[in-house]
Amino acid sequence: MNITFLLNGETVELADADATTTLLDWLREERGLKGTKEGCNEGDCGACTVMVSDENGSRALNACILFLPQLNGKSLRTVEGIAAPDGRLHPVQQAMIDDHGSQCGFCTPGFIVSMATAHRNGARDFDDQLAGNLCRCTGYAPIIRATRSAADQPVPDWITDAPVTATANRFMPDSSDALAKLYEANPDATLVAGATDVGLWVTKGLRDIDPVIFLAGCSDLKQVSIDDETLRFGAMADMNTVRAAIADLHPSYAEMIRRYGSVQVRNAATIGGNIANGSPIGDNPPALIALGATLHLRKGDQRRDLPLEAFFLDYGKQDRRPGEFVEAVSFSRQTDRLKCYKISKRFDQDISAVCGCFNITVADGVVSEARIAFGGMAGIPKRATSVENALIGKPWSDDTVDTARAGFDEDFAPLSDMRASATYRLETARALLSRYFAEDRGVAGSVLEVQP
Amino acid sequence: MPDTLQTPAGHVRLGSNSGQPMTRRDGIAKVTGTATYAADNRPDRLAHAVFASAGIARGRVVSLNVEAAKSHPEVIEVITPDNRPALHLDPDGKSHPFSWRIEALQDNTVRYAGQPIALVVAETLEAATEGARLLAPEYDTDPARIGFENGEAYDPPAVGIGGNPSFSKGDFDTGFSNSEHRIGASVDTPAQYHNAMEPHAIVAEWSGDHLTIDTPNQAIHLARGAFAGYFGIPPENVTLRSPFIGGGFGSKAILVGPQILAIMAARMVDRPVKLVLRRDQMFGPVQHRGATRQKLRIGTDGNGLIKALEHEATASTSSFDDFIEGAGNASLNMYASPAIVARHSAVRVDTGTPGPMRAPGEASGSAALEIAIDKAAEAVGMDPLEFRLRNYAETDPASGKPFSAKSLRECYELAAQKFGWSDRPLAPGQMRDENGMLVGWGMGSALFPAPMFAAQARATLRRDGTALVETSGADMGQGAWTALAQIAADGVGLPVDRIEFMSGTTDQPDAGVAGGSGHTASAGGALFEAGSNAVQKLADLATADPESPLFGAGNTGVEAREGRLFRADDESRSESYADILERAGLERIDAMGSGGRDPANTEARAMFSHGAVFAEVKIDPDLFQIRVSRLIGAFAAGRIINPHLAKSQLTGGMIWGIGFALHEEGIHDLRSGRPLNADLAGYHVPVNADAPHVEALLVDEDDPYVNALGIKGVGEIGITGSVGAIANAVWHATGKRISSYPIHIDALLS
Repeated sequence: MNITFLLNGETVELADADATTTLLDWLREERGLKGTKEGCNEGDCGACTVMVSDENGSRALNACILFLPQLNGKSLRTVEGIAAPDGRLHPVQQAMIDDHGSQCGFCTPGFIVSMATAHRNGARDFDDQLAGNLCRCTGYAPIIRATRSAADQPVPDWITDAPVTATANRFMPDSSDALAKLYEANPDATLVAGATDVGLWVTKGLRDIDPVIFLAGCSDLKQVSIDDETLRFGAMADMNTVRAAIADLHPSYAEMIRRYGSVQVRNAATIGGNIANGSPIGDNPPALIALGATLHLRKGDQRRDLPLEAFFLDYGKQDRRPGEFVEAVSFSRQTDRLKCYKISKRFDQDISAVCGCFNITVADGVVSEARIAFGGMAGIPKRATSVENALIGKPWSDDTVDTARAGFDEDFAPLSDMRASATYRLETARALLSRYFAEDRGVAGSVLEVQP
Repeated sequence: MPDTLQTPAGHVRLGSNSGQPMTRRDGIAKVTGTATYAADNRPDRLAHAVFASAGIARGRVVSLNVEAAKSHPEVIEVITPDNRPALHLDPDGKSHPFSWRIEALQDNTVRYAGQPIALVVAETLEAATEGARLLAPEYDTDPARIGFENGEAYDPPAVGIGGNPSFSKGDFDTGFSNSEHRIGASVDTPAQYHNAMEPHAIVAEWSGDHLTIDTPNQAIHLARGAFAGYFGIPPENVTLRSPFIGGGFGSKAILVGPQILAIMAARMVDRPVKLVLRRDQMFGPVQHRGATRQKLRIGTDGNGLIKALEHEATASTSSFDDFIEGAGNASLNMYASPAIVARHSAVRVDTGTPGPMRAPGEASGSAALEIAIDKAAEAVGMDPLEFRLRNYAETDPASGKPFSAKSLRECYELAAQKFGWSDRPLAPGQMRDENGMLVGWGMGSALFPAPMFAAQARATLRRDGTALVETSGADMGQGAWTALAQIAADGVGLPVDRIEFMSGTTDQPDAGVAGGSGHTASAGGALFEAGSNAVQKLADLATADPESPLFGAGNTGVEAREGRLFRADDESRSESYADILERAGLERIDAMGSGGRDPANTEARAMFSHGAVFAEVKIDPDLFQIRVSRLIGAFAAGRIINPHLAKSQLTGGMIWGIGFALHEEGIHDLRSGRPLNADLAGYHVPVNADAPHVEALLVDEDDPYVNALGIKGVGEIGITGSVGAIANAVWHATGKRISSYPIHIDALLS
């Protein structure tokens, strides 16, 4: 593929760029820019964080799972491009020195780029902005202090790059119509949206995924529309965009997304990709199923809709036909009754042991509607239909909840694995229903007696 | 003399550089990405190597498709046991206490999953990776032995590096059976993996019989000798460069097989070769903290005085080498008891060989000991802090020797006060926060020995008024570039910006091992002495020179400060280093120095750093998710050279305590023996959101015996005490004693 991008202010044009060469390998091995480090090569540690900017602003991304063609039309800054060309330090660099935020220093370039990106975006949620960078030395506090102390200083002018025009490529369609045609004609192609999952097929699975269709140019697929009736997310909406869009409407879902991946991963990951790859522990599907979401699929000019839960057939198997792609997911505007509970051993960047999402509507003291969906309890994201049935039409009361709790044993037969035991998973599912009820009744935090 | 007036105990006075909270001298290089780590080197004609990892844990490789790998157009060479060149030393031998048996393709045996079974060298990293995949190994598989139940038990001749596997004083059985309160505790700790952010890496290049290596290393000269030994060349033919180490934590102190393979490959293909481990390859050939299974018994009298203490530990090691966590020995030096027993046994399993990992022995042992001590306090009905004070060891419990210095009481007091410990309800399950979370407070005592290693340094005073000071120090994040330079500057009596500090390669004199928390003391001592010796030579010149204002000051002495020598008895008479050298017609004057400890003090005193850690946890009463919300520690570790650096080390260690207590665990599949979580998504190190308010307080301590500078270490002690403090806080929140680490979310299910 032929691509054009800016690297630390300098135009780079690559002819015949390999579709699956990662930016990290290219920077270190081809370009000789060695400041960007490889710590894990799978998007877990953030040592390879780079700043990627376009007309929509600047994002921190993991270079280890970013394919070169994804840079087409972007401007890129690595740690070498954070200080001024004359050597003046960026405020975050000076702050990291002053606050002893760098010890062994290997994670430092990634932190610096994350910090500079957050600084440029005026972000103040420092803990969240740096959640995707691991450090084994400092314990993070000095780094957070440095980020905070640099926050009020102006954004240096050298960080801002001129816009770049992407080079046209046949396998980089610029609209969903073009994609539909291309994919129908090449149903064996691999679709790459953010590459947070497909990237690992290459870097860890060593798979040959050619031919590859890059979706980043399909700007219509990135659209989020919210009207009086419906919320509709184009498949290419990234998870930070999704989070912002639902923050006021379904705050519990938004809060769950905050702990889903890291900033770098959420900046790349798309809602459509998360659904299409069908992970049994993906955190979006339980929330969307609980919201009653509809999945919109397209193949050529044919479109079909189905309830999201019907898309997941079995472990690793989805109802998607050759040449068919996820175009969007939508759900109705509704009074917010949704609560999402992501249970994991580590607070951030951890795969859920259990992800339970509850959406229970009560009218005149009686449960009128109940949609409850879980991840981590079966091979696919799955509804708790017995529990739902035990609730619907019953008074919204302790007794009903107590009775309904038993339904989880009918709905799920979870496995024990290194994240949690089957017993814990079932126990937790039951406890989460009780918690949902207690929180709804305004009992703070816990189902146990709480002293003020 | 420089300003190093001897105190009566032989404890020197340092100058104005040491003790200052200087920022790191390597800070700019690190924040701009110009600090060069081993894998960043790209010499001309570089070839890339990738090793194929065994997919079974025990058996033999019966076939490798070398032809397929070689048919890749960019593959240069494939090395297997069939064509591997001979090594001068047996990789299954142990030439010195710091050498491990390594995997260097000596035969087709597979001893653990992830072991190197072939090496592919190619023009690009991608081709080497693909070549390794194309080898498609086939195996004769024997059943994997994983876990204490399935391994082969034996009695280890030593624990740690040369440590005693058993210890006994007094009559435990009588003391225990006569005790009013008797408790037992069983605690398992899992395999843990160092996972420094920088994976192990090496770039090796031969030039005739000279070998140049870029590889992160914590003991540069020791490694030089070992590398030379394997390849049959004199040590001086090896140049090893390790200016920046991206975290070591013990795993970069000892040679590993992949380094030998890369050097071998470089010789075979006659090109520089780079080998960088993938993250998943960090879970096999580069050591780990071995799992332990510990049992303790403590008997106390009615007043809470410990009468008998027993600590038994079983540790896992590999099937082919021995590194036994000396966990039981953590009970030898902390609490007073008339009867103490420590015993170790070992189990061989099909994993890579363990090695020292931040506070080896002490971390695992303290994690169990502090739970047992808490249970003993509970049995007596006593506050855990009061119980620990009641059993405070005024002399070393194991040897009976006096401590060189011990300020643990001050640590308890300072940290407890800062934490607010006096408000703690005695019984568990009494506290809730505003969100209904269960709250618990726990504590642990911290301890780490203060070893020293032989070290040398050279100081050169130059006519331009600057000095060159050299030692092969290793900076793995602790700040050697800064702290050692501060000491070196005081040694030569110059401000730190007027010295050139050279470190991190074999071109400098041997700085010993950056391990055992002894590097600053060892290398710092050598630097200081080298500087003092150089200044002494300069003073000899001046005081013998009738033209010098210092002439004749020999008997009363001179002092060195800011690049000048002053008469000790008359400050108005002084002369600059530059003038003295100028008049003597010398460009420079140099001297060597060595670090060490007065053997008489070693014989007479027990030497440890001490500390106390207090933890607060919050636990969801329904879901049992555990968060550490506060961790406050106070530590006494002799003289602190740079408080910023010391606090960074201590808080870093305390965060490791959180990792140990709640997260870190290498899990192997019992059937295949393969690691199940060999990546940073599955092997959990603490992330920012898990890092609570952590505070390390420093307690001033003057230790006149530990070494001339009065320095102990701070690199490892932070993890000890912290782990047990968290487990004890979990008990205080829930009433549930845990029996294994890390504490799982389902461990608190009743």
